[in-house]
Amino acid sequence: MTPSASDGAAMSGDTVTVLPRPAAASRAGGLLDRLRNIEPVSLLWAALAAALLFLVAAPLVKLFVASFETQGTGAFTLSNYATAYGRQRYLDALVNSLTLGLLSAAISVVLAVPMAWAVSRTDMPGKGLTWAAVLGAFVVPPYLAAIGWILLAGPNSGFVNQAWRWLTGAEGALVNVYSFTGLALVIALNSFPLVFILVKAALDLISSEMEDAANIIGAGPWTTMWKVTLPLAWPAVLAGFILVFLETIALFGTPAIIGIPARINVVTTQLWQFFEYPVRVEVAAAYAMPLLLVTVGLIAVQKLLLGRKGFVSQTGKGGERRMVRLGPFRWVLFGWCAGVGALAVVMPVLVLIQASFAKAWGRGLALDNLTLRNYALLLFEHEMALTSVWNTIWFSAAAATIAGAIALLVAYLVNRRLVPFGEVLGFLCMAPFVIPGIVMAIGFYAAYASPPLALYGTATLLILAFTARFLPIAYANSQAAVRAVHPEMEEAARILGAGRLQSIARVTAPLLKKSLLGGWLIVFILASRELSAAVFLVGPRTRTMSVLLYDLSEAGNFEVLAAFGGILLAITLVLVAVGMKLAGRDFMLRRE
Amino acid sequence: MHRITRRGMFVVGAGAALGAGRRAAAQPQLPPHERELYEAARREGEITWYCGQYNAETAEAVGRAFTERFPGVRCNVVRSTSQVAFQRLSQDARAGVAQCDVFSSTNSGHFTQLKRENRLMQFRPRNVDEMLPSLRVADPDNYFQTTFLGLFLMAHNTRKVREEEAPKSWTDVLDPKWRDQLAVGHPGFSGAIGVWAVQMRKMYTWDYFRRLERNRPQIGRSSQDPVTLLNAGERSVGICVPLGTTAYSIARGNPLRVIYPTEGVLATIAPSAIPRNAPHPNAAKLFMEFQASRRMSEVIKEFYNEPMRADVPQAEGARPLDQITLLAPSIEEQEKGVPEVREAWRDTFGV
Repeated sequence: MTPSASDGAAMSGDTVTVLPRPAAASRAGGLLDRLRNIEPVSLLWAALAAALLFLVAAPLVKLFVASFETQGTGAFTLSNYATAYGRQRYLDALVNSLTLGLLSAAISVVLAVPMAWAVSRTDMPGKGLTWAAVLGAFVVPPYLAAIGWILLAGPNSGFVNQAWRWLTGAEGALVNVYSFTGLALVIALNSFPLVFILVKAALDLISSEMEDAANIIGAGPWTTMWKVTLPLAWPAVLAGFILVFLETIALFGTPAIIGIPARINVVTTQLWQFFEYPVRVEVAAAYAMPLLLVTVGLIAVQKLLLGRKGFVSQTGKGGERRMVRLGPFRWVLFGWCAGVGALAVVMPVLVLIQASFAKAWGRGLALDNLTLRNYALLLFEHEMALTSVWNTIWFSAAAATIAGAIALLVAYLVNRRLVPFGEVLGFLCMAPFVIPGIVMAIGFYAAYASPPLALYGTATLLILAFTARFLPIAYANSQAAVRAVHPEMEEAARILGAGRLQSIARVTAPLLKKSLLGGWLIVFILASRELSAAVFLVGPRTRTMSVLLYDLSEAGNFEVLAAFGGILLAITLVLVAVGMKLAGRDFMLRRE
Repeated sequence: MHRITRRGMFVVGAGAALGAGRRAAAQPQLPPHERELYEAARREGEITWYCGQYNAETAEAVGRAFTERFPGVRCNVVRSTSQVAFQRLSQDARAGVAQCDVFSSTNSGHFTQLKRENRLMQFRPRNVDEMLPSLRVADPDNYFQTTFLGLFLMAHNTRKVREEEAPKSWTDVLDPKWRDQLAVGHPGFSGAIGVWAVQMRKMYTWDYFRRLERNRPQIGRSSQDPVTLLNAGERSVGICVPLGTTAYSIARGNPLRVIYPTEGVLATIAPSAIPRNAPHPNAAKLFMEFQASRRMSEVIKEFYNEPMRADVPQAEGARPLDQITLLAPSIEEQEKGVPEVREAWRDTFGV
């Protein structure tokens, strides 16, 4: 796993410009000589490259190739693209997805930026509650939140609308979840933590001196915020916006649950239709291609927008950070944070819990409506429920472990510059970041479902897909962790006589332990709620909780569905608690 | 508790104790043809059932009853809507991976298609001889057997709509006064809705759906989805809902009432089949025998589905079949028509 002591010796001096391999190797004559001189670290490089090609590159290449293939014969054709874009309905779905992505991302920014500013820069009370709200929104799976909002904001039966009619005597509905804005809002309420995490991290770095400068030349606190503080966080806002956009266009569960009744067809539900009989993987591949282009385009736009400006807020000189005093406004801001928390977490979760203990959820809270039957059905009678819980746990754990191991090794190689072209590995690790999960899943289906590998429906395929999907998160985490440990600590150990392995085991690893654990848990939690890749890849015995939840959502029984969601949430909460205990309170929300 | 009493009754009445859950007792009392299959099935250990016919609770109960009767043969119930079950089967086939042992769909057209593509196994369960005469022959070549007698009709929430005001026929719901009050499933998911759409198109042309669209029905996926919406009071009238799920919901205390449309009730007399490449062929055959058995009809009846044998009485309060007009397109019409109406539906309704 790590380079041996012999080659390590060549590398110990100046870690920044260390030669990749002994200069002798290039001069050696015969092939055997060369082979003998191949270093373990090169082998590791090759192994990692192979793993990443298998996990990331091959499915995408296969997808691209398949989009030009005739089904059955494999002959070159453009007809898949003609089919995929030959109907107005399919084009509408594409437009819907893009609009939905933009709207959800915009709402997320509006929700999250004031929260991030309040928590990071002001004396707003109740910051702990705000953290809890963000964390809660992050761990509630999107499709569960969607069900919760159906129960809350159905135009006739939703509790919010019932309350509204009762309070005002109005006839109509206050909110309608079955609408485009309803759908976008539900998604945003679930995705805003991404913006929050990034923006807060950026604001944390800005020292008060810049704000002081603005104050000195006459700007009040609000002008300062608008003209100085927030603009400095602009790259983070943009990154958060893009992240939510990517999340939204790749989302499958929420559009299927809310979008169909609302008559909104999006790319993911359309891709699902291409898997109807006859399964048209090729057309699906062609249809997915623009999604890739759009994401690549977005990254380009981001570069363009940020390119010529400077956003330096860290200067090496220790800056002072003081909280902005808001006076009575701090309560306004607190109200905002509490409101978002209520909408994103408290209300949907409460209504789900109510439904999970109800005989008929529409009858509301009443003693004779209470039952444990929904839980009993799942725990004792449902053949697949407990199996799916177990599947979810071990698939997610395996994926988090594999992703963590690959990410750590690559991050270490890249950071310590132990191999040439280490950046290529880093790039492959980050690539899935811009690939919508559902596109990834179709790539995996096209590449590995059929013989010779015949992985369709196996645990292996799901674990690999989860690994690939969340590799960027693991990598970003490992990269930050490795970067934070200066090589000089390892070097000190080496000087005292420890080998490279020993110094890693005794010095580096203990220093990294906490953040790696945090990264592991984040991947675990994300994998445990993954739906859009799993739904294409599961087999009868490998269904995960999210897929079973999706199946249940088709069965018209929200009570049992809510109970299953309750079980999923309970498991997640235990894990988050364990994570906080082991990896620090804010392990999920640190910017890495 | 429901089940235990019935089981007790059954044991006393029939004497054969076929369905008794006691594992030790189960085996010796099996008829010879089942025992033979059971021996082979036990070596295979499990069966995977793609089920689009019965709702989740019923399908799980059937799976449990099967394993109770044949200990050591586990039943993996993969319950979904029929089109999604067929999609899973197609995805399996496309990937060249065999996972399904028994496939059950409300769209009979799936089976003629699979048969024509030579993807089904020929098998005639012996127990079929004891089913209702009209259900005994689904396919003269025995590639598939009837396992579901589904009745699909309308229902309304009695708190939102009084009985005398409720629609009485399939066409009544086209009246503009039902705007924003209707709910229906989706033929891209539900097999029954596909069959129903074929039937309505046959009776009233596609114009029926254009007019239905003007009333803005809420579209779910499963034919059962409207039942949930009616229970909650989100919508008032459900179109083409399964009698079984609706009656079960009424029994749980929800304010619903069933409407038998004047033109007739949609009947999906739908089969199950064993794919040719089923990984557990003997267990699959045993499961097909089980589906034709008395125990199966007992189990599904507890969830208000129609029993398929004369020796199992209908659920309490159910209308005798001979007093209902049954509507159903032919199998050929289903195979050809469902993909057509699915596309037309998406064009008309936008999803």
